[in-house]
Amino acid sequence: MPVYVRLRIASETYAMPVGHVLGVADIGQIRAVPRARPELLGLWNRRGRILPVVDLAQLLGVTRTGPPERVLIAEARGHQACFAIDDVSEIGELGDPAEETDSDLLAGATLADGDLVGVIDVPRAFASLEGLSGERP
Amino acid sequence: MSDPDADLTELFRDESAERLDQMDTALLAVESGAAGAETIDSLFRNAHTIKGAAGMLGFDDVRALAHAAEDVLASVRTAGVFPPDFAAPLLRATAALRAQVNGTAEPVAGLLDDLAACRAGPPGDEPPGRAPEASTAAASERAAPAPAADVRTLRVPAEKIDHLLDVAGEIMQYRTRLAHSLGGQAGQAQDVAEAFGAGERMLDDLKDTAVGMRTLPLAVIAGPLPRMVRDVARAAGKEVEFVVTGADTELDRVILESLSEPLGHLLRNAVIHGIESPAERERAGKPARGRVELRATPRGSLVEIVVADDGRGASPEVIGEARREGSLADVLASPGYSTAEKVTDLAGRGVGLDAVRTYVHSVGGSLDVRSEPGQGMEVIQLLPVALALMEVLLFERGAAVYGVPLAVVEKVVMVTQTLTLEGRSALEVGGRSVPVADFADLIGAVAPPLGERPPALVISLGARRAVVTCDALLGEEEVVVKPLGPLLASLEGYLGASILGDGRIALLVEPAMLTRRSHAVPALTGPSAADGRAADGRAEAPKVLVVEDSFTVRELQRSILEAAGYSVVTARDGRDALAVLDRDAGVSLVITDLEMPELDGIGLTRAIRASTARSSLPVIIVTSRAAEEDRLSGIEAGADAYMAKRSFDQQALLATVERLVGR
Repeated sequence: MPVYVRLRIASETYAMPVGHVLGVADIGQIRAVPRARPELLGLWNRRGRILPVVDLAQLLGVTRTGPPERVLIAEARGHQACFAIDDVSEIGELGDPAEETDSDLLAGATLADGDLVGVIDVPRAFASLEGLSGERP
Repeated sequence: MSDPDADLTELFRDESAERLDQMDTALLAVESGAAGAETIDSLFRNAHTIKGAAGMLGFDDVRALAHAAEDVLASVRTAGVFPPDFAAPLLRATAALRAQVNGTAEPVAGLLDDLAACRAGPPGDEPPGRAPEASTAAASERAAPAPAADVRTLRVPAEKIDHLLDVAGEIMQYRTRLAHSLGGQAGQAQDVAEAFGAGERMLDDLKDTAVGMRTLPLAVIAGPLPRMVRDVARAAGKEVEFVVTGADTELDRVILESLSEPLGHLLRNAVIHGIESPAERERAGKPARGRVELRATPRGSLVEIVVADDGRGASPEVIGEARREGSLADVLASPGYSTAEKVTDLAGRGVGLDAVRTYVHSVGGSLDVRSEPGQGMEVIQLLPVALALMEVLLFERGAAVYGVPLAVVEKVVMVTQTLTLEGRSALEVGGRSVPVADFADLIGAVAPPLGERPPALVISLGARRAVVTCDALLGEEEVVVKPLGPLLASLEGYLGASILGDGRIALLVEPAMLTRRSHAVPALTGPSAADGRAADGRAEAPKVLVVEDSFTVRELQRSILEAAGYSVVTARDGRDALAVLDRDAGVSLVITDLEMPELDGIGLTRAIRASTARSSLPVIIVTSRAAEEDRLSGIEAGADAYMAKRSFDQQALLATVERLVGR
């Protein structure tokens, strides 16, 4: 079975295929970029590389209860970006995401340990971000 | 893995393109009668080499045409005379060869006949039905192609050089950090200071070498330009002499690659719209042949690239408009403007000087236009030599660091007293009134109000100037410019970002955005602020979030704020407010009640202060609890102001809001 990184946003659980995940870190200082779209929280310095930080909660339409605490660094389509999340809960195998979901950004959902886990389609998430104009609407 | 045939074909294309450019330059010189025996030799050699290489790779069409051209050139060489009329069919041959090499060939049977006729017939034999073409000259610096210098070259993918520069840049960051940790030189042991100094010198050398590898001479893209000018001039019935100076001036590879199109556009404009017809020129007492120049001159960390013509220049009406608008560049580059009455195919429909200006601004340069009626026109582009490294002035606003290219900072000043004109602030700089604007307003950042006598940068960009206020100036630094990446690429107004020695990220700001917007933001402070807002319909009303569990109080506050010109969103409690803030990054101030279900005003204020994205968002607490200890707990949680409902009055609320959002 494929291996996923399971992450928590508010009370919901999502997962990303481990092949797209470069690491997880404390959120630290995010450099806000004036006039950028609200889901782009700003820029983050990862060992001398400047990466955009995307609020996964806003992207997925999850209502956040507190500020995000961690960033997950992901790679797809030749680019890297950070996703702001609450925390990583587990790394491990998951069943096929056979359950259908409403979100374009999810490949589907699967049940794990009694939770419904939304599996994020990372290349599609990157593509949808690139399609947005950077400017705040 | 790479395909050896594909690699060879690629090499052949590159080499042929270069040789065909050289042939064009030489043929244009022949046409104007400025060619010597050396020119004929080089033409022959180039045709011969293309023929040979094409034959080896099995490109028979290319070989046949190159062979036909070579035969003409061989006969010319033997005769020792190059009839200028031979140049036209040979130029058609180089164009056809270029198309063949690029795989977009058209039938060349007629052309082969014409070339054969050149060889057989007496000089001057033009194909029937063609009028003798007016002679145009191209006296470029490189009229006679120099024999290839004996320098060994390596072909290296551009990405590798970019990576080298990135690495050099990152080492520079570590150097800055190390220097910071080591403290001043006085505190260092001698051997540490020596080793550090030696490393520093070598790093500078490494950096300069890496930058040098990214820069190329303008000649790299100037090759096809004489030919293009000639073709455009012929099609438009103009006689034009085209002169290139400073072709060895070096520029960043990335800039050069994107410069061809704007340069081509400016040159086409100069020929079509600038240069008059020969008859018109003679009537105006000018020589029948017009002159178009491309000049490149290094200016410190910038390069000045001028496209000049001696044509009709801007009309007196346009020049009058420019006096009112501020500059000729502003008038001519307003979208859709064209100096010709009707758009011609040759000038490139839909692409105007505004596209050139947008390009120049996007790389941190500036555009200026000078013209007098009847006296021609000069379009001056100032471009940075290197894009990857930039000398910037760093400053702070709203606890964040920004940088602008040092080359555009005329000076720094303390703003003590501003003049207010038509609702906008201005400062007298060098005897002239220059608009003053808060950097936070220009960039659209949320920031607390400026202190008294704030420091400011005087930005000077062509004819435009602006005074930009900030919280603090941090000093100048050479930084490595990194792109914002594909997710933020479409966000206007930024040149990129840079990581500073302390690990913080500085956003690098496009200077043109500052001068452009400084005319469109409200006055700094004072009673004229409201007029400034009214005068400019584009200024957005600041958005206020009202958090209150009582519907009546909530709607009362909404109506007061909306009447004063603010846009208002509401939330029922602290938790709801955080959700609104998550959805809407446009909120520039929060007014909250203290006692609410779910999350109270203190909790909300703490959550806002703890959030990285909006820790500086101003918060006003309005409540019925007016005891001093409540006020203190509100201030401790990070509220900017505390107002009691008992003493609540509209004017006090509006004054506080206005103070906190800086308008």
